[in-house]
Amino acid sequence: MNPVEFGQIAVNAVLLSGILALVALGFSLVWGIMNIVNLSHGAFVVLGAYLTFYLHELVGLDPFITIPIGMVVLFLVGFVVQRVLINQVIRAPLLATFLLTFGLEILIVNLVNYFFKADLRSVTTRYTGAGLSLGPLRIPYIRLAALFISFALVAVTAVFLRATRPGRAIRATGMDIDAARLTGVKVAQIYALTFAIGTSLAGAAGSLLSMIVPFDPNLGGTYTQRAFVICVLGGLGDVGNVILGAILYAFVDVFVGARLPEMSQAFTFGVLVLLLILRPQGIAGKKFYA
Amino acid sequence: MPEQRPTLRQWIGLTVTGLVLIGMLILPGYQSPYDLLTYTRFLVLALMAQGWNLIGGFTGYAAFGNVGFFGVGAYTTGLLMLSKWHVPFFPALFSGAVLAGLIAVLIGLPVLRLKGHYFAIATLGVAEAFRQIADTWDSVTQGSTGIDLPVRTDGEFFYYSALAFVVLGILVTIALKRSKIGYAWVAIRGDQEAAKMLGINTTAMKVLAFAFSAVFAAIAGGLTAYQNIHVTPGDFFQLEYTLQMIIATIIGGTGTILGPVLGAGVYQLLSTYVWTRFLELHPTVLGFIIIVFIIFLPRGLMPVLTGSIDVLRGRRRFRWQALLANVRAHRVT
Amino acid sequence: MRLVSRLASLLVLGLGSAPILSLPAIADDTIVFGAAISITGKTAKEGEYTRDGYQFAIDTINQMGGIKVGNKSYKAALKYYDDESKSERTAQLFEKLVNADKVNFLLGPYASAPTATAAPIAEKYRIPMVEANGSAESIFNKGYRYSFMVLSPAKLYLQGVLDLVKSLDPAAKTVAILGENEPFSKEVAQGAAEHAKEIGFDVVYHELYPSNTQDVSSLLTNVKAKSPHILLGAGHLQDSLLVVKQSKDLGVSPRAMGFSVGPSSPEFRANLKSDGDYIFGATQWTSALRYVGDDPWKTPQAYAQAFKAKYPAYSVIPYQVAESSAAVIVYQRALANAGTLDPSKVRDAIAALDITTFYGRIKFDKRNVNIYKPMAAEQLQPDGNKYTVFPIEVAEKKALYPMPPWGQRANR
Repeated sequence: MNPVEFGQIAVNAVLLSGILALVALGFSLVWGIMNIVNLSHGAFVVLGAYLTFYLHELVGLDPFITIPIGMVVLFLVGFVVQRVLINQVIRAPLLATFLLTFGLEILIVNLVNYFFKADLRSVTTRYTGAGLSLGPLRIPYIRLAALFISFALVAVTAVFLRATRPGRAIRATGMDIDAARLTGVKVAQIYALTFAIGTSLAGAAGSLLSMIVPFDPNLGGTYTQRAFVICVLGGLGDVGNVILGAILYAFVDVFVGARLPEMSQAFTFGVLVLLLILRPQGIAGKKFYA
Repeated sequence: MPEQRPTLRQWIGLTVTGLVLIGMLILPGYQSPYDLLTYTRFLVLALMAQGWNLIGGFTGYAAFGNVGFFGVGAYTTGLLMLSKWHVPFFPALFSGAVLAGLIAVLIGLPVLRLKGHYFAIATLGVAEAFRQIADTWDSVTQGSTGIDLPVRTDGEFFYYSALAFVVLGILVTIALKRSKIGYAWVAIRGDQEAAKMLGINTTAMKVLAFAFSAVFAAIAGGLTAYQNIHVTPGDFFQLEYTLQMIIATIIGGTGTILGPVLGAGVYQLLSTYVWTRFLELHPTVLGFIIIVFIIFLPRGLMPVLTGSIDVLRGRRRFRWQALLANVRAHRVT
Repeated sequence: MRLVSRLASLLVLGLGSAPILSLPAIADDTIVFGAAISITGKTAKEGEYTRDGYQFAIDTINQMGGIKVGNKSYKAALKYYDDESKSERTAQLFEKLVNADKVNFLLGPYASAPTATAAPIAEKYRIPMVEANGSAESIFNKGYRYSFMVLSPAKLYLQGVLDLVKSLDPAAKTVAILGENEPFSKEVAQGAAEHAKEIGFDVVYHELYPSNTQDVSSLLTNVKAKSPHILLGAGHLQDSLLVVKQSKDLGVSPRAMGFSVGPSSPEFRANLKSDGDYIFGATQWTSALRYVGDDPWKTPQAYAQAFKAKYPAYSVIPYQVAESSAAVIVYQRALANAGTLDPSKVRDAIAALDITTFYGRIKFDKRNVNIYKPMAAEQLQPDGNKYTVFPIEVAEKKALYPMPPWGQRANR
């Protein structure tokens, strides 16, 4: 592989890691704090994408402006879903929440399919495809912006978790739920808040994705899968782990994709399985948020 | 507790099962070929669910990748039948089952050391990897183009074969449940460390459960392959089969003997009904049904049925609140 | 209360399965054609085209008096189900059509993978299936006698683009090929690679990507390094869109870009807007071609006009519509020739056909594949329209070549 190819592939990997980190963060938060593997995470990514698409098409808003709107909407949706639905079975054996979120995924994706049809959509603006040229390397502007926004949101979330009362309550609940309850934390509310943050971040990722790839209601599935792998790679310890996992995953995915595109998924899963066997807590992490 | 004269409950269970069996045997004479196909699908699903029940229900290890063994069974059966030796169906099917079992042992040894979510994801990954291998190993599996098995038109053959395997599955499950192996599985599900301390070889028992589930899935795969004729990686390694077998077991009742079969029947009925009435919203309705069962009836229908025998006899009152019991037990406030 | 409890549990215990009632009997003087088509799901749009093509032909034939078989005229009817773009549903639905709905004949689904699942079923029940949207030849290498491919096979798809570029620019030398890893696209890619070599090109890159891929930037980065003169994509609408978008992102600017599926659909232009300019698309048929056939419409132009009159929402007629109508015409002719509704005799009549239609020549080789109709090519041009540019003799407009590099275009 010549240096230019290598360079461009590396650039692609870095750009990809931003969105992946954003998707994985919400997923990892829900898993780490509530021990729920949210199989419907991808469905919220899809909702974010469609929201941006329609706000752009019907109201003419620039897609970047729709991101905060989408985040608020999906925050509310996620809050309600957790409070009303998932909280009912949250202390049941793992399989229950696994399947509940799976049922939820089917429900949401199919409703999106029913109302919006399966046509491919893209959010195309004047600046789609334009990019920075650093010598022979190309860095598309939208992807660069997506990278910055993703890391900004990740940073904001990290600060929120560390420095604010609700954020600390979330972490405390994840560490020791009974102790948290004893200090007055309303666990049901905290769980709903956590899930809502997760879906809100997923929605933001969806908004960004709508500008980058042509999408349809089935967009979400692969992102849920990737979120899995990233959480396992990085571990569930804290935000830094998610970033680490995302970067690692992006690099492996892009480099394997360049050399053996057909086998990229098998390879990724092979790595995942090996990792789970050899080091289930991930490269750097612990098993819960601390 | 020593087994004495069968109780009334057991007599009722036996009679109902016997009647159902007789009904199933004479069924083909009264059904159109298409409806017979639906019944065959139900039986194949029951087979997969029975296998899953052993690892997921009795042993408590929720495997999410059993479709991998389904596909292995399908391809092995198909490739042997299409090979230059033209292996007949049943030997090819059994070879597929044996191969799947061996693969399950090989994979199970490392993977069963994981627990909970990690185990689920690892098995999911294994199934995905199998799919990709089938998709890219063109020289053997013809890759994404797929293979076509010899054409066989009589639906009754598939129906009766599937029925025979399901009955066999029930008997095997009964035998296992009553044996030391069954007790070991339940012990592992309850408290694995304690089981180990009691001298149970948990690794061997877990691998055995996993291997059995693989064999069931592979037989289901081989039957489906022969009936559908066209076998592709995309169709035969899809997550949906895993989910169907899990949902069927949950609906029927994990860790019970007839649960998987009952659950498969209910699932197939619901699915077919929904499909004819609400075609476009069919996945939505199914998703909704899954959610409802998980929230209100997580132990499945078997406990409800066995409980209703008591209710009919006047021994117990049926309370709607019972449905909410699960929610009360598991919600967070 | 206890009575209610007991009744409730009796209900629960009495859960039996009720046989699903089948649909009312079909009228005696109607020939029913059955198909499972992807009305929802990944290939929903193309599925709609297929259904509309079938329905339009059937309606037109009925308006002209129906299908003549012997000395009786039959009404034609279409019975279809949505297979949600999932090939295992396709098989199940075809079983339903044959067994429960008892249709007379079968029409194909959309795309090769579902067609491959349906062909064995047609074979199993010995009912002909004329398919118009599954061009993978692998379906027909298994010796199935009851399925017939009306459209041109996959390997021919991108040959037109290669021939066209060769004629416009004899100095063009290098070709890069990307393909989706599924039966149809693999054959398109393979056929393109072979033809390229035959006419003197160097194939510098030939890779397959997984179906449903979200990202081809790694592959395109490799392609960019090789600077090919021509970039060909063999996939479906979604991947074609992805390749174009990511080519623009990465600055991959070949002299010509062509896709097997995508450019001929309105969605392509709708999603890409001006980024779709200069792109070539393979097409089985366009309304600009100059066939004169022996069918209700006779020429492509007349067909297009008649179709638009009935379906005004279509601004252009995708080829999937035309080839689906052609499948129905095949049945019309074969039934007239056979003089009977007996499936095996109709099968023989289809196999013996050699007709020219508004869609082109239809004749089946030994494997039941129509290799006698050539593929055409279209190009999206900066005035916003799409023109037939190949075969050159029937081209509506001259092809624009080469494609201006991405950085040098004014975005609309």
